[in-house]
Amino acid sequence: MSNVWIVIEAAAGRCTKAYLELVAPAQTVASALGASVQALVLASNDADATSAADALGQQGVGAVATVTDAALGQYAPQTYADAVAQAIQAKSPAAVLFYGGPTASDYAPRVAAKLNVGLVSNASDITVDGGKLTITKACLAESMLLTQAIATDGVQLATIRPKAFDIADGVAAATPAVEAIAVTLTPSATSLTSVEATKVEGISLEEADVVVSGGRGLQAPENFNLVEELAGALHGAVGASRAVVDAGWRPHSEQVGQTGKTVSPKLYVALGISGAIQHLVGMRTSDTIVAINRDAEAPIFKTADFGLVGDAFDIVPKLMEKLKN
Amino acid sequence: MAKQIVVCLKQVPDNTKLRPETLTAMPTHGVDMMMNPFDEYALETALRLKEAAGEGSTVTLLTVGHESAKNVLKKAIAAGADAGFIVDGNDVPAGDGLATAGVLASAVTALVPEASVVVCGTSALDVSGGMVPAMMAEKLGWASLTQCKEVTLNGETLSAKRVSELGVETHAITGNAVLAMMKCDYELRSSNIKGVMKANKTQLPIKTLADIGATVTAGITTKQLAQRPEKGDGKVIEASNGTTDAAVDELVAFLKAQKLV
Repeated sequence: MSNVWIVIEAAAGRCTKAYLELVAPAQTVASALGASVQALVLASNDADATSAADALGQQGVGAVATVTDAALGQYAPQTYADAVAQAIQAKSPAAVLFYGGPTASDYAPRVAAKLNVGLVSNASDITVDGGKLTITKACLAESMLLTQAIATDGVQLATIRPKAFDIADGVAAATPAVEAIAVTLTPSATSLTSVEATKVEGISLEEADVVVSGGRGLQAPENFNLVEELAGALHGAVGASRAVVDAGWRPHSEQVGQTGKTVSPKLYVALGISGAIQHLVGMRTSDTIVAINRDAEAPIFKTADFGLVGDAFDIVPKLMEKLKN
Repeated sequence: MAKQIVVCLKQVPDNTKLRPETLTAMPTHGVDMMMNPFDEYALETALRLKEAAGEGSTVTLLTVGHESAKNVLKKAIAAGADAGFIVDGNDVPAGDGLATAGVLASAVTALVPEASVVVCGTSALDVSGGMVPAMMAEKLGWASLTQCKEVTLNGETLSAKRVSELGVETHAITGNAVLAMMKCDYELRSSNIKGVMKANKTQLPIKTLADIGATVTAGITTKQLAQRPEKGDGKVIEASNGTTDAAVDELVAFLKAQKLV
């Protein structure tokens, strides 16, 4: 019986719990193809490989293949693509699903080009039609949905959009059978020389269940404390519109929108953001959108599930007080 | 040492003027088009590399697509690029990253054989595939880094900063590379009248797949372009002066009903 792989980059702390989102779409694909789900763990040492296998077992993944090589300790797209391509050639999985974060989005295309097979990317839904992986994805700056299918024979590759699938609750744990795959890696032409961490307080914008964003309507950079306090009260992350990032009030790492991040939290709160299309494309897929803006004509209200026309400086302190009670 | 730099550009629909309800297939021309936003950062990065590499360095533009893409190429030449080619995209399936990357790799080899750096946008806002730069690098046998926010040249060594789950990574690069840019801390420079006049005079040859020795390998099939399901109308209420307290109460009740607090 063939396998559907989910790829877990376990070296150097790169994968997070969010990678377990791959399990549900992999099960869908595996059952349609008459295959089983197996994780492919990429690690630089045995300890990382074992702890990744344990975490996968907790989520009911009963089969793990590992590629362990010291060269995987520092991320290089050529090395990672080489490792996955060699593993595919050794074991011939039917399909391989990658977590579509910044790591696999960088090297998975090289795997596809190396093997000369199609890749479908950023899938928010996935099925199998006529034996071929078929995905739906956001396109045209999130405004429409595109359906694409793999056209090549052989292994089928897809990257899955972060937060598109839920991690299942209450899954019976498994003790995974672990097999090692041997590869021979060649040195890469790129070398990672340093990493400057930009995460604040452990909640990343892309992974947060709640995002509170501020815009030009807050009038001055120091007024962003309103955004930070509400985000803190809701256990969320802080976002910003392009206008305030360009004005130098906030770092680009907080920018939500066309040239910033795309977020899809359970709750998105927009404070003093008018809602230009370039901002909407970064947050319109949030489950619930709350907007607070003085201007009743602001386009953000057309996208909001709940809008308050008024002054954020009056509303937010009252909101925090009432949430406390 | 002088560097020959290639920038891959794509014309994409201007999403601020787009009417999704009128579309049944991805438009490649015939609606309001613009330079893909991330490509503007790629172009500016390339112009900066050209300045850093010194005399004899050039920036050559490549696009695969419709002849109307000449407008985007002209804008780039006005900003400081030196030459440009349009590869006729008629036989290249639109939105197919594997096919496009193969054609672009052939174009680099055939049209700019001395090139050592290719700069792209990290993804295009129409199909949002995000795969062409790295696929192209693999086809060329070059290094690649995507989601970059800065590329610098120190002597002969390129280095790139890219954004990942971990933060901002700095990578040193040996040899030829494809670099894909997201938003940078700098914007595309504006063009002056001299640039615009040069752009109007510059020939932008159209090349066929046969001209550049390219063959097309289809990686994907595009099935459908569909509207997003309509979201129901939200509730908007007044929250000023006397109504603020009641409005905030209503918001709290809404959040509680949705189990969000």
